[in-house]
Amino acid sequence: MEQTVCVLGIESSCDDTAAAVVRMSDKGAQILSSVVEGQNELHAEFGGVVPEIAARAHAEKVDGCVRTALDDAGVTLAQIDAIAVTAGPGLIGGVLSGVMCAKGLAAGAGTPLVAVNHLAGHALTPALTDRVPFPYLLLLASGGHCQFLYVAGIDDFTRLGGTIDDAPGEAFDKTARLLGLTQPGGPAVEQAARNGAADRFALPRPLLDRPGCDMSFSGLKTALLRARDQLIADQGGISAQDRADLCAGFQAAVCDILVEKARRALSAARDMAAGQPLAFAVAGGVAANAALREGLQGVCETQDTQFIAPPLALCTDNAAMIAYAGGRLFAAGQRDGLDVSARPRWPLDRAQAPLLGSGKKGAKA
Amino acid sequence: MPSDPLILGFDTSAAHVAAALLSGDQVLAQTHTPMRKGQAETLFPALDKLLTGAGKAYADLDAIAVGVGPGNFTGIRISVSAARGLALALDRPAIGVTGFAAVGLGATPSTICSLPAAAGRFYLGRADGSGTPVLWDGDNFDVPPQAILRHWPDDAVPEFAGATAQAQPIPVAEAICRAAAAQLASGQITPPKPYYLKPADAAPSKTPPVVILDDA
Repeated sequence: MEQTVCVLGIESSCDDTAAAVVRMSDKGAQILSSVVEGQNELHAEFGGVVPEIAARAHAEKVDGCVRTALDDAGVTLAQIDAIAVTAGPGLIGGVLSGVMCAKGLAAGAGTPLVAVNHLAGHALTPALTDRVPFPYLLLLASGGHCQFLYVAGIDDFTRLGGTIDDAPGEAFDKTARLLGLTQPGGPAVEQAARNGAADRFALPRPLLDRPGCDMSFSGLKTALLRARDQLIADQGGISAQDRADLCAGFQAAVCDILVEKARRALSAARDMAAGQPLAFAVAGGVAANAALREGLQGVCETQDTQFIAPPLALCTDNAAMIAYAGGRLFAAGQRDGLDVSARPRWPLDRAQAPLLGSGKKGAKA
Repeated sequence: MPSDPLILGFDTSAAHVAAALLSGDQVLAQTHTPMRKGQAETLFPALDKLLTGAGKAYADLDAIAVGVGPGNFTGIRISVSAARGLALALDRPAIGVTGFAAVGLGATPSTICSLPAAAGRFYLGRADGSGTPVLWDGDNFDVPPQAILRHWPDDAVPEFAGATAQAQPIPVAEAICRAAAAQLASGQITPPKPYYLKPADAAPSKTPPVVILDDA
């Protein structure tokens, strides 16, 4: 007999408050509802996500999002078999609001709680959207994360490489800020880059000359700032064409880095897969960039690999991916107590040396 | 609503996990554990224990009462988020009680209430909710001579000439339950919302925006 479970997911690890209901069985998963309430306008004047402002907003929005998600799905809490919540990694104030609301729901309804790693939510999205079988290679590229993951199971991740400093989405935001474009920076920079010449400014491709799949975007940001400041020193400002050229140059550098590292990660992943079919999937907001998608698709074609890009709404932060990951873990027997911790740092691949963060608090990612 | 509603109240707005169970006028159980870290992990096990010890279950509750601050920002959010989740699951009202209402419960209306803030500072407000509560900076709150200054027993109190400090004899979670019971009885319920009195520490960028030149 086929068993169906209905899972409520809650996500609040950055600047999106989200709740979703996903129904799952052996035959696949169906997203019954997915509510995402962003906070762009709250953070706009600060040029980035302010953790305390984000935490304040989550605390007042989480329960409302849950109510809407249940209503949209046409289910009551009594029909929910498990409550899945992002317990990290992320901005701890927001994560805490989601976790405490989930605990309240679990306690009040007597429903099992499943603590989900936010990165696992992204990493399992190709299985949710496209039923991609394990193993597959995933590039997670967002405002907060950048890593290549070899995904061999619902709790079996090997990190093949990642950023040693900033995430590319953060670099897009910074570029937009430096050039007077709107936030979030990804779409604004991509739009401006359409009219620009990528080869006018010589911007670096950090770590491209080193072996392996690790990446760096910090120096690229600095180089862009220097190029901009030179223009300002020479002519008192930048023209729309300067801006377009800087955007095109920046985007080309990010694409070159990610595409070349993807080529290497795919080779490594194919070795690990040892003859099993292997798909390559993307997740994270940066995966929305058309030039990047085209470049990654090219890599896949040369290596005879299926390229999977889930719909954008499921690439960026959402709770459907948390519900799905939680549902898979629930089916595998995971239950968490109401004493479970919210964790600012929680690397998916615990076997690897930390790329970011160390010391008492441990690896960030 | 029954004549003796069962109310579960809790608070993590300061360095403690406090909870109480009030049935009508009677406190069935309460707990107060001093704690600087770990409130998010400890709160629900403490509530479970409290209910079980009193032979009650979440489903028996008529309302949830919660301390909304002012106080520790993270602590406030821990309890408020938990209360909202419980209320949604149980389809019972969640009731927000400010720290001033709790520490000032039972005091004469003009009583001034003091609550601890970060870095040895204080939040000041009036027991009856009149006037504008503040994060006290030394002269942004009018304290008349002979004022009575309510506070929690273990907390420091700012010194004002001629004012008399008076500790609230009722424990914090019980006071929150009783204040919530009064709201419930009056039919005027305040849903819980974190009460900060201090904006988030963030300043807009001081760097002037880049000048975009006319291409023409």
